[in-house]
Amino acid sequence: MAEAMAESYNRDSEPTTRTLLRRVLDTADTLTPRRRRSARVRRLSSPTKMNVRRRSHRARSIGRLAHVHTSGNLEEQTPRTLLKNILLTAPESSVMMPESVVKPVPTPQVVQSSRRESSRGSLELQLPELEPPTTLALGLLAPGRRKQRQRLSVFQQGMDQGLPLSQEPRGNGSASSLTSSLNLTFATPLQPQSAQRPGLARRPPTRRAVDVGAFLQDLRDTSLALASPGDSLRTPVATLPTDTVLEDTQPFSQPLIGRSPSVYHSLPCLSHTEAEDAKRAVSHRTQSSGPRLQNHNPGKPTQLLAGKAKKVDALAVSFPNNSSAVSGEDGVEPLQDGVGEEAEERMEESLSVSKVVATTGTQGSVRMEKSKGHREMTEAAEAKEPEGSSGASLELASSTTEFLQARRPQFLEPAPPPSAAVLSSEPLEPLSTRLPPRARTPGPRPRQDPHKTGLSHYVKLFSFYAKMPMEKAALEMVEKCLDKYFQHLCDDLEVFAAHAGRKTVRPEDLELLMRRQGLVNDQVSLHVLVERHLPLEYRQLLIPCAFSGNSVFPAQ
Amino acid sequence: MAFSTTVSQRKHIKRKAPRGFLKRVFKRQKPHLRLETSGDLLVHLNCLLFVRRLAEESRMNAFESKCGVIKKEHVQAAAKVILKKSRG
Repeated sequence: MAEAMAESYNRDSEPTTRTLLRRVLDTADTLTPRRRRSARVRRLSSPTKMNVRRRSHRARSIGRLAHVHTSGNLEEQTPRTLLKNILLTAPESSVMMPESVVKPVPTPQVVQSSRRESSRGSLELQLPELEPPTTLALGLLAPGRRKQRQRLSVFQQGMDQGLPLSQEPRGNGSASSLTSSLNLTFATPLQPQSAQRPGLARRPPTRRAVDVGAFLQDLRDTSLALASPGDSLRTPVATLPTDTVLEDTQPFSQPLIGRSPSVYHSLPCLSHTEAEDAKRAVSHRTQSSGPRLQNHNPGKPTQLLAGKAKKVDALAVSFPNNSSAVSGEDGVEPLQDGVGEEAEERMEESLSVSKVVATTGTQGSVRMEKSKGHREMTEAAEAKEPEGSSGASLELASSTTEFLQARRPQFLEPAPPPSAAVLSSEPLEPLSTRLPPRARTPGPRPRQDPHKTGLSHYVKLFSFYAKMPMEKAALEMVEKCLDKYFQHLCDDLEVFAAHAGRKTVRPEDLELLMRRQGLVNDQVSLHVLVERHLPLEYRQLLIPCAFSGNSVFPAQ
Repeated sequence: MAFSTTVSQRKHIKRKAPRGFLKRVFKRQKPHLRLETSGDLLVHLNCLLFVRRLAEESRMNAFESKCGVIKKEHVQAAAKVILKKSRG
């Protein structure tokens, strides 16, 4: 032992495990170029004498082992060959140096205790590429008697050399499992999941064929939505709005005769190229199907209606989108009539109708009634009348199919007055004068309709929550209930705000109201309700959340 | 970085709250009072819960009368109960 120590001290002022290993391998009469390497030894801080003693002791054991395995056959998977590879491939100045220094020390123990040659072999295969992990693995392979001491020494070395401790605890785990896991990760490449589990393979999403008409109308809707954002509250004007600038591309003259006023009544279209394209497309379609209208039209309108119905359902909740519903219904009827121009114009008009919910809602409802029934070319005036009488927003709230079977007499003029006011770019002012004056009650209508359309939002929610078919009378009853509820609500909020000496109703008043209603109690807080029932965007506005930079939003 | 108080137009919120409608209703009822910005969202939440309770109550009434369709009477009876509950 003293000799070994002297030896080690003689060779290097600071003996390291690496150098010790080198010495071992050198002495074991192999043709290695490593002798040269041993001259360039990195000086590491020498640990305590005890460790040196331990290391030297181990070096001796290594030496013993080295004599046992005289040949350095690489084909044989022995720890010796592994070590050789390590020393060959590991760069001396690498960051992983400490590991390679540390880890080879326990390997003699491994050699002593057990030889898992198969596992090592697989590891060895990976050695050239995956140096550090394998050294780790080798280090961690140490089971057996000297486990504790080895780990302690390794630990101490690691501490001295500033190794991360995480390496040590890893060795405490089952080494075999680790190596096996390593084997798995190294040896077996990742198989494509689809080969093993076909269910997980990604399927291309099934796509429905795009309905060009519906697509164009959707485009128009969105463009209109972008164009006129703030007009949802405009009330409809009694007189007819502006009318079309739509160019008459249709060659049909006969249908025009009876419908000339209606043509003029068609809504102004923002001169979108899409609108014109849709028009031409529709005209083409109608032209082609001219004589065989009955055959083709059911296909197209149903297709369009399906698309529109889909759109309607999707957009049923939001007000401005009633226009699209209207447009859908519009598109249906004229096509069936076989008047191409009108169809286009209706579609365009209905599409260009933007935010005036009330009138469009009413018109839409009436239109829907008509569409399935018989078309009649009527004057715009007559068409407009049923709007006022129908109280349309309520009907619109009901399912669309009900309307389709409802009465149908008049062909609705798709010219909601507000659209004219809304769309500033309409050059159709003069057309309104051409329209015959519509007999309508302008007074209560502006008040009722937006209010009713607003209520219809909640009425729809009611019918959704009920999950059962409902009568129309029941829906009207729900509207009345909502009215009463809003009155009660406002009164209560007023009382609460006055109690707090305020003139503004704050969220605290709302919370107090919900507490009194029994919705919020000690088990269920307001935030919980907000999380449950409101969409994320509103939740972000209501519940204060901390963000980076020491900021809270919404500010309190 | 804080989120903006408005939602960009491209974001499509499902189950939007008719904030303009609610504000208008409140203004019409109590013109001398003011409603805060996030207050109307809570009002919307309250309405949702009210409508939900109403719907469930009327559904139960319809079941009890062994009817497959919700009728006006069911809704009326339910409204009496729920309005009384949400009196505050």
